[in-house]
Amino acid sequence: MKISLNWIKNYIDLSEISVEEIVSKLTMAGLEVEGFVDQNILYKNLIVGNVTEVKKHPNANKLTVCKVNDGSQDIQVICGAPNVAEGQKVVLAIPGSIVPKTKLQIAKVKMRGVESSGMICSADELGLGDDHSGILVLDNELKPGTPFSEALGLNDVILEIAVTPNRPDALSHIGVARDLSALFNRELKLPKIEFKESETDIHTLASVEIEDKLNCPRYSSRVVTEVSIKPSPEWLQKKINSIGLRPINNIVDVTNFVLHETGQPLHAFDLDLLVKHKIVVKSTAGKNKFTTLDSKVRELPENTLMICDAEKYIAIAGVMGGENSEVTESTKNILIESAYFNPAAIRRTSKYLGLSTDASYHFERTTDPSNTIWAAERAAQLIAEVSGGKVAKGTIDIYPNKISSKEIKLRLSRITRLLGYEVAKPNVIKILNKLAINVIKDLGDTLLTVIPTFRPDIEREVDLIEEIARISGYDKIPTISKINITLDRKTDDSRFHEIVRDTATGLGLYEIINNPLQSHKLASLTGIAVGISNPLSNDMNYLRTSLIPGALTVVSNNIKKGEKNLALFEIGNVFNLKVDRPIKSFEDFTETTSLILLLTGMKNVRQWYSRDESYDFYSLKGLVNSFNRKISLDNVLIDSYNTDEKSFYDNYFEKSLKDSVIGAGGQIKKNLLEIFDIEQNVFCFEYDLGKLTDIPQNKKLYSEPLKYPKVSKDMAFVFNKDVTFESVRKFIIQNGSELLKSVTIFDLFESKELGDDKKSMAFNLEYFDLKRTLTEEEVDNDFKNLITLVTKNFDAQLRGN
Amino acid sequence: MLSEEIKKIRNEFEDEISTARSPDQLEQIRIKYLSRSGRVSELFNQLKTVPLDEKPEAGKKLNSLREQISNKFNQQKSSIESKNNFPKTELDLTLPGKEIVIGSKHILTQTLDEIKSIFKGMGFSVFEGPELESDYNNFEALNFPPDHPARDMQDTFFVSKDFLLRTHTSPVQIRVMKNQAPPVRAIMPGRVYRNEAVSARSYCVFHQVEGLYVDTDVTFAELKGTLVSFAHQFYGEKLEYRFRPSYFPFTEPSAEMDISCFNCDGKGCKLCKNTGWLEILGCGMVDPNVFSHVNYDSEKFTGYAFGMGIERIALMKYGIDDIRIFFENDLRFLKQF
Repeated sequence: MKISLNWIKNYIDLSEISVEEIVSKLTMAGLEVEGFVDQNILYKNLIVGNVTEVKKHPNANKLTVCKVNDGSQDIQVICGAPNVAEGQKVVLAIPGSIVPKTKLQIAKVKMRGVESSGMICSADELGLGDDHSGILVLDNELKPGTPFSEALGLNDVILEIAVTPNRPDALSHIGVARDLSALFNRELKLPKIEFKESETDIHTLASVEIEDKLNCPRYSSRVVTEVSIKPSPEWLQKKINSIGLRPINNIVDVTNFVLHETGQPLHAFDLDLLVKHKIVVKSTAGKNKFTTLDSKVRELPENTLMICDAEKYIAIAGVMGGENSEVTESTKNILIESAYFNPAAIRRTSKYLGLSTDASYHFERTTDPSNTIWAAERAAQLIAEVSGGKVAKGTIDIYPNKISSKEIKLRLSRITRLLGYEVAKPNVIKILNKLAINVIKDLGDTLLTVIPTFRPDIEREVDLIEEIARISGYDKIPTISKINITLDRKTDDSRFHEIVRDTATGLGLYEIINNPLQSHKLASLTGIAVGISNPLSNDMNYLRTSLIPGALTVVSNNIKKGEKNLALFEIGNVFNLKVDRPIKSFEDFTETTSLILLLTGMKNVRQWYSRDESYDFYSLKGLVNSFNRKISLDNVLIDSYNTDEKSFYDNYFEKSLKDSVIGAGGQIKKNLLEIFDIEQNVFCFEYDLGKLTDIPQNKKLYSEPLKYPKVSKDMAFVFNKDVTFESVRKFIIQNGSELLKSVTIFDLFESKELGDDKKSMAFNLEYFDLKRTLTEEEVDNDFKNLITLVTKNFDAQLRGN
Repeated sequence: MLSEEIKKIRNEFEDEISTARSPDQLEQIRIKYLSRSGRVSELFNQLKTVPLDEKPEAGKKLNSLREQISNKFNQQKSSIESKNNFPKTELDLTLPGKEIVIGSKHILTQTLDEIKSIFKGMGFSVFEGPELESDYNNFEALNFPPDHPARDMQDTFFVSKDFLLRTHTSPVQIRVMKNQAPPVRAIMPGRVYRNEAVSARSYCVFHQVEGLYVDTDVTFAELKGTLVSFAHQFYGEKLEYRFRPSYFPFTEPSAEMDISCFNCDGKGCKLCKNTGWLEILGCGMVDPNVFSHVNYDSEKFTGYAFGMGIERIALMKYGIDDIRIFFENDLRFLKQF
């Protein structure tokens, strides 16, 4: 919101207070000044110039070479504007000055071989409107050499204030002035309203009826007759310009002025266009169409609050007037609407129509129901002043259920308890008074206060405490340096994820974080996706159902950038829809946390000490097993292979606990990779981290290191190719003695010599007993027995001797 | 006489032994001081001339001298030998070592970890909650009435009339308080969503950390103290700070905390938009309406809450100028942290 300091000075004396002080005090009181423009600085070195000569540029068709008198001498300036002419008074930017809009510094330059020592400015370049078709031509009476800001009275300071939604009272110049009066302890002076009323009673000219009293609690109105529509006088145009609005005509400008003076939106109807000169406020019954004054046809939903005359709609209440009743050049008589509408109703309409106006912005934040008459009279006064109109006698004010001021008790002890320091009673009372909050009873610790209706945000004691804190300054609240800590058990929901992340990075993986919003195409690859009702784009209109599509996108993007060798992990939530209707409860979808581990490309590449090595299935399986071991899960999970034919993996394997699959992975199928434009193998494994978290972690107990020697034995066989390692390992363990503790594979090969359908596997067997040293004989017996059994059972041949 | 000699010999020995580098030099020193005809033995010979009553004392001194010298000598000897004993090989020691790749956590995770550890040190628990939330938990219970302009502060992705992607981590406050009676002291990190056009300055997904403390006597002064302590631990001891009034429906009074710009020490630069201040978080005292939604007695209990954006903190701290880079997962970016 733009606030003009010159304007504000109509209501409060700010002499001897610097702009910086005002900016800082407002910001520190919750009216954050996001920026300000001091016109004296903005228009520095811009002066009024007199164009004394205009000649064609010798080397450019569209340029002219001008002589501009700066009050003492002629300066040569190149100009590109079509409207420049001798005798004009213009805005001259001399070298060293800065163009307000573009912030470019003017310097002496040569343009196409001709020297130029300045620039003639357009309105657009000066930040005074959007006309950039030509230079700004000034009043001919102005003296060359006069500073531009002085010549046009542009010596204002314009503040840009970010007003939070709880402070509708501060959305006006009087509102900001009221805060300033509390902050600087100066008096707030409201303008006096004085005007002559004509003999004609308003009730003979117009009538108002409210049908929807819930959404329109109050409708006040004044009528001004015999107006003449014309441009506003200079003072009014200047005020309208100063806050970034465009002057339109004297009537519209007055309504805008009063809105930004008091915060009460007004609408002016052409009274003669209203059938039976009647206003009816009611809500639409069905769907309707209506043309607003911007000539757009609006589709109105049911229950839209409308202003009507005896026959038709004439305005969307609180949002925008209609084309059929707007003030035009031929308007003679005017009805001023000054109403209080239900904020939620206006907001619903504005949201539905996607139409936010100055009026709806104020109404939906709650206007002051007690101020409608004052605002209507203020507008009547000004309209009479600037249009020569006559104010009809009396006011129409329909206000069936008066909204009364709230009474709130404020305990001084509660201020201390909430803020942590004591504010002295006289200070509390002074602050309240400056904010127009009356203390009607002083009961010692408790003050009984009455809240003005323009402060809808103050509803409870705590809201008053905020006012005390805000105006005293938050810097008055002490910053304590000691706290009490309870000695209860502390929870950390993220602890397990931290362990997972530490483990994954320790295994050489880099963490990625993807946007869970995806296209329908990607999200539905891996599940039934939850859709977004109001998405930003079609690339982000569904929630991911798995971490795989996001991870593959990352792989694809990195390959395009030349990063082909990737070891990645991500922890993130995935969402699956359980019903085929809109979500109504938490039972209708699942949100679970997943972990994905991903390998692609080369493990070792171009190292002087090793051969190049690609990631393969066993890299992934090893990674998964190392991961499980680190988080103490290697003993409890069961592996199974190629059990799910529908999966998007070749060489699929999964880990499960009893019947519940904890994670699954393998080599991503080619047809899935094609979607992501990936031509290299990708291996990944996705865990349901929620299930993993729920598994009671193996309790680690100390076991005494082995005191007696282990005996290690090797055996190698030639098998048929379809014999799996696991089947042999299991067989050996099952048939070996109790002393046999482990079987591992240490060599595997195939060769022409062995035959096409054969392979060789070599095993290492480890024997030991916790309580004694083994004899060579007992180990040998078992070992020889196992050789015989394996040979028989698998139709294998023992290798070597 | 004798003690002066002892001193002199010890000093000379120490000079020589400390500069000895080779076995040859060592051998020469051994002969000079410790051999049968060496300087220490010579002194022992002089013992004969010492008066009888001084003999025991002089003997002690000499023994101690011999012990010191031989200890030092052996020390130096073994140190030289261990250096020289490296067999001369053909290894090119300048070749790069066989490094083991260690991955890294995403910079957002690292930033969050740092924040978490500071608050855990101040006795905070850590709670998490779902991203797909009910309108009730995300807005209504946090005192955003339906059809209220406060909802415009947070543009929302809806999945249905009553469910949405949470716009802040504050709904976790509701979940925690519904689950547990005061005192509650917890931070609640997580991912949040805003329906805002994607640009270098804003992304539709980001991360927040929420903080909450409710007990019988929690004051704004304690809120200030806690957050100033956090800021000093995270951003540095020297910074200045200020609390400005602001508005959040779920706190009253509400504030925003600014710290002096660490990039320019508050002088004004591009990072702080020439204000000298950086906004780092929003905070306030828990609104009584929130307490009534979770059945806490707001006469008995008071509390504070705060929230900060992780991306914003990481952007400022690491000098990153485009928020989108966090979600691009370019390996060259990931490897920098």
